[in-house]
Order: sequence, then structure tokens, then C-alpha cells
Amino acid sequence: MRLWALVRKEVRLLLRDPHALAVLFIMPTLFLLLMAGAMSSYMQDKPPALRLLIDAPQGDASQFFRDALQAQLADSTLLTNSDERLARVRLPADFADTLLDSPHQGPSLSYPAQFDKLSRQRLQSAVSIALAQTRLLAYLEDSGVVDAELSRAERLKVVQQRTQSQINEQEQLASGDLSGRANATQLSVPAWLIFGMFFVVLPMAGGFQREQQSGTLLRLRCLGLNLGTLVLSKLLPYFAINLLQFALLLSIGVYGLPLLGLPALSLPGSAVAYPLLAISVALATCSLGLLLAALARSSEQALLLGGGINILLAAIGGIMVPKSVMPAAMAQLAEISPMSWALDAFLTLLVGHGSLADIAPYCARLLLFAAVCGMAGLLLFTRRVQRTQWTTHY
Amino acid sequence: MLELRNVVHSYPGTSRAALQGIDLQLQAGECLGLLGSNGAGKTTLLSLLSGVLALQQGELRWEGQPRLGLVPQQLAFYAGLKVCENLELFADLYRLRGAERRQRLQQCIDICALEDKLTRRSEQLSGGEQRRLNFAIGLLQPADLYLFDEATVGVDAASRQQLLAAVEQLTADGKAVIYTSHYLEEVERVAQRILLLHEGQVRLDLDKRQLLGDDHGLLLEWPDAIPAGLNQLLASLQLTGEVLPKGLRIASLNGQQLLAITEFVTAQDGLPNLLRFGRPSLEQFYLRLNGGRL
Repeated sequence: MRLWALVRKEVRLLLRDPHALAVLFIMPTLFLLLMAGAMSSYMQDKPPALRLLIDAPQGDASQFFRDALQAQLADSTLLTNSDERLARVRLPADFADTLLDSPHQGPSLSYPAQFDKLSRQRLQSAVSIALAQTRLLAYLEDSGVVDAELSRAERLKVVQQRTQSQINEQEQLASGDLSGRANATQLSVPAWLIFGMFFVVLPMAGGFQREQQSGTLLRLRCLGLNLGTLVLSKLLPYFAINLLQFALLLSIGVYGLPLLGLPALSLPGSAVAYPLLAISVALATCSLGLLLAALARSSEQALLLGGGINILLAAIGGIMVPKSVMPAAMAQLAEISPMSWALDAFLTLLVGHGSLADIAPYCARLLLFAAVCGMAGLLLFTRRVQRTQWTTHY
Repeated sequence: MLELRNVVHSYPGTSRAALQGIDLQLQAGECLGLLGSNGAGKTTLLSLLSGVLALQQGELRWEGQPRLGLVPQQLAFYAGLKVCENLELFADLYRLRGAERRQRLQQCIDICALEDKLTRRSEQLSGGEQRRLNFAIGLLQPADLYLFDEATVGVDAASRQQLLAAVEQLTADGKAVIYTSHYLEEVERVAQRILLLHEGQVRLDLDKRQLLGDDHGLLLEWPDAIPAGLNQLLASLQLTGEVLPKGLRIASLNGQQLLAITEFVTAQDGLPNLLRFGRPSLEQFYLRLNGGRL
């Protein structure tokens, strides 16, 4: 009854604190929407479609090269004429005659200034493959291996079969950082969700300071209230708030982002893994909150300490800047941040389609962090409560 | 119901013990007025009684299980909760249930005049109203000993009378009370016994009637110095005046002597600040004992 009364009190106080609600729900939602929108064109699942100008002489070989290139850049548009400033692939006039020459003079490429580095690499790669396939066809025709009566499409199929190999790919999810492969939604939703969850430390620590400063802690202490009841009354409401944040922000990712024209978040991987991750993160944040509550000496200190630690953990943990764009040393430093562990676990599920076993190492780290912070917090919290003094102002 | 024997308490890093061998007995139905200037040891004593501080030396014996109700100086409630929510919360924490819960809640609401404030956020109450809520929460607790520490600071005169009546009712109901306040007229009203602490020691522990007695006297205070000639008049009337920080107290005088003194006073150029005939107040005693320090 006492625990329930104290939990109800915490929830009421939290619901009436507009600053706490803003920090816990509005701030992460806004960050999520803004950052997902801002990064949507930069971080996409598929590379952007290209518009290219193909300047090629007439002939079968040029046409084959064009088809092979189109096959490589399926979503791109290959034009023969345009006034636009486009990347241009120019085939030499004697293209068909020199295909079997060695060394071979290939096509020349020219790019407008705004053509980005990634697109250049993509175009170079596609042109190299299309050229290799065109030269292979010339060799096969010359050797009589390919029937000259075959259509262009059939010949392309033959060449593609000859140049394709089965490559066995394996994900090594435990190796960590998947942020480089995540799209804006996959990165923004978990990042700002984790950031928001960690902000429960602010109302937790601030509320405890107010309780001590106002003398209510003295009253509670004189009631002979069990310390476990007191600690649980702080942890349970914020644990529940964390789970609510988790569900709410994931829902915004799944249902809200498409309404804004952004890619929807899909939740692949193990269904059990998400609740386990939510519980692990919530335990880590609540334990950190307990520790900060015991460490801070005033509401102002709790605000500075809690806010400062959160921003620091987020900055080094790949929340604000993806680890994939960090220098190696910074990316290594990120490994000390529990926010980084939580984000890696999330990306393992969202990007790597991982299983429960794949995120288990990250959850174990979060739970260990929760245990260490929780033990230290409990010890300091106990001392703090025991040292609560009867104070007089007169 | 409570007995302290030779209680000594020292804080780390201080040369002088905050309490130096305190002996105290408190019976059910008794109200003890705890007095002392800053640093006298009042807070340490209250902390020991409430269990906030652990006993270092001496004995502290309770008759049965100690059940304490307290009204601390601080506004010890949740400012973000409504008045009724604070009362309900503490009723839950005090494990009040059923008819007793309803009865105690209503009683506290009536005594502290909170009926029309119940749905207001506690932080929106005036200073005096918040003090009344603090008082109500302490009073709500079923206890054998109630500790009141500066419980009525900022409360308006009418409400204060109601709160003091509630304290008197507690002792009438057989509860023990320790009441400390810098409003000495409050202590004088509610306490049956006065305990004066000075530098960690009991300087005085007396029944209030014994302390103040029925000895009527005349108290005179002037803005500046005592008028010349007054001492000669007192000598001629075979009276002696006890010099106080601001004036003079003349004890045990009859009607003739009183008339002579008042004629002398009215004949002076300047009127006195105070001319009062009656029993000495606790404040006058306190000032005299404590060297003029409140």
C-alpha cells in the first residue's frame, strides 16, 4: 500500500511537470523527426538514381554497351541528348573496332561539379563492368562461342551468366557498428529514442533533491519507511516511463514518419529481442538516475550533472554523429558509452536483422552497467537517506 | 513514556558536544516547551528523539514502540500535489484505513481550515496556508509523541489560535508533545513544562506554574535610561527593582506602592514604552535567563 501510494505520487508529480514531460517525450520526438528529415536524402537505403548522357557511335557494340550499362544502373536514366549539365560517358568513334585491342582505350567520363564522389565511384564501377561485358562478347563472337544470330538481349544474358559468380556473404553482426549501412530512419529513431530514455535521470534526480530540500524525506524517514520501498518507488515509475517512451517513439518511426514522406521504420529480427532491449536500456537509465540522485546535492546540481552526462554520453556514443563517420579513435572511444551499446543493439536488429543472440552481448553490457550504477546508487542513496538531518532555519 | 539519561552527542569535527549529559522524562499527556538560543542543542535533541540521529552515549528509553508525529520547520509535503492528494498520500503512508482514516482526515482539515483549499495545488497556497497543511500532515499521524518545531511561522493570528488549540487537545487526549518555537507566548500557552537548553546542557527544567508563579509585579520599560529619582522612590517604598535589559521589574508590591509608582511615572516628561502589571511572561523570564538573547 505504501509503495503503491509513493509510486502514484511520483507519477502525479511527473505528469504535472511540463519540463519533465517535454524532456522525456517532446524533445526526443522533435529530434527524431528533424534528424530523420534532415538526413533522409543523405542516408538512403538505395543510392540516388543517376541521369547520364551517353555519347556513343552507332553500332551493335555501342548498343550492347549501353544495355549492359543500363543493367548495372537499373534505376538510372541514360540519355543520348540533353541540355542539362549531366555526367557524360563518351565512347570513341572506333569503339567497336578496338574492343579486342590490348591495351584498350576505354570510354572517357566527364562529371559536372556537383556530381558527388559516391556517384562517381558508382558510375566508374558500372562503366567498367559494362565495358568488360562488351569486350567479352566481342571475344566470344570472335571465337564463335556465341551464335551471332542471337538477339541483343539473349547475348547480354549469355555474357551476364559468364561474368556472374555466386558470392557467399555473411553478416558479422557482433563486430558492431552498422550505422554506415543504416538509413536516416533506422539511425534517427533508435538514436533519439535512447537519448530520450536516458533523460529520465533528470526528473528522477531532481525529484529526490526536492524531496530532501523540502523535508518530506525527513518525514518519510521518521515513518520508518523501508529503504527498498523508497528506492522502488523511485525506480518503478521511471522504468514504466522508459518502456512507454520506447513504444511511443518506435510507433512514431513505424507509423508517423511515412506521413511526412520519410521511410517507415520496419522492425525486423527477433520479436523477443525488442522487449529485452527495452528492459536493458530502462534498467541502465534508472540505475544511472538513482546514482545521480544520490550524488547531486541540489536540484540545480542534478540538472547540470544529469544533462551534462547525457549529452556527453550521446556525443561520444554515436547518437549525435554516427560512428561510421567518426575517426577510428573516436569510434573506439564511443565503446565506453552505454548509449553506443544500446544503439549498436538496435542497429543489429533494424539493419542486420539480428536475433536475440546477436544483441545479447550489448544487453549484457547494459545490464552490467545497470548493476554497477544500481549498486553504487543504492549504497550512496542509503547513506544520503540516513544522513538526512532535522534542519532548523531559526 | 520517554526517558533520556545522560545523553551526550557530538558532531564530527567539533570540540564541544552538542548535547552534554541530558536527562529528561516525559509523561503521556504532557507538553514540554523546548527553549534555547541557536546552537543550544534543540535540533540535536529533536533529531535524536525522531531517530534521525543515532544515540552515541547515554540512554533513551521508550515505553512501548515509539510512534512519532512531527511537524518540522520545513514545509515537508509535495508542492506539486493538491492539498487533498498530499493528505491522502500521508494517510496511506501512516497506514490509516476505514473510518479512522476518514475521521482523522476530516479532523485535520477542520482544525487547519483547509476545507476550501483541498483541490488547490499545494505550491499555489499562501505561506500561512502551506504552514497549515504542514501542520495538518503532522497531526494526521496517529502517534504517542508529537514534535512541533516552529510549526506556526507565518500563520495568521486566527488560524494560529486554532492550531494551538489543536496542540492543547493532543495533550488533553493523553498524547505527549514537545513544542519548540521562538514565539514564546505560544510555548507559554501550550506547554505545562519548560525545558531550557543552553550550550548543550539543561539549564532549567521546571513546571510552568512553578516557573512563572502567581507573583504579580510591575514591569516598566523606557526608550532610553530609567528616569532619575525612581530608585530613590523605590527605596522609600521599601521596594527593589530587578534590572532587565530594557527596564525594570518590581515584584511583590501592594496597591499603595503601585499608586505611588504610577504617579511618579505620569509626572515624568516622557512616557515609558511599557507599563504592565501582572504575572511575568515566559519571554521576560527567558530573556533574563538567556542574557537578553531570544
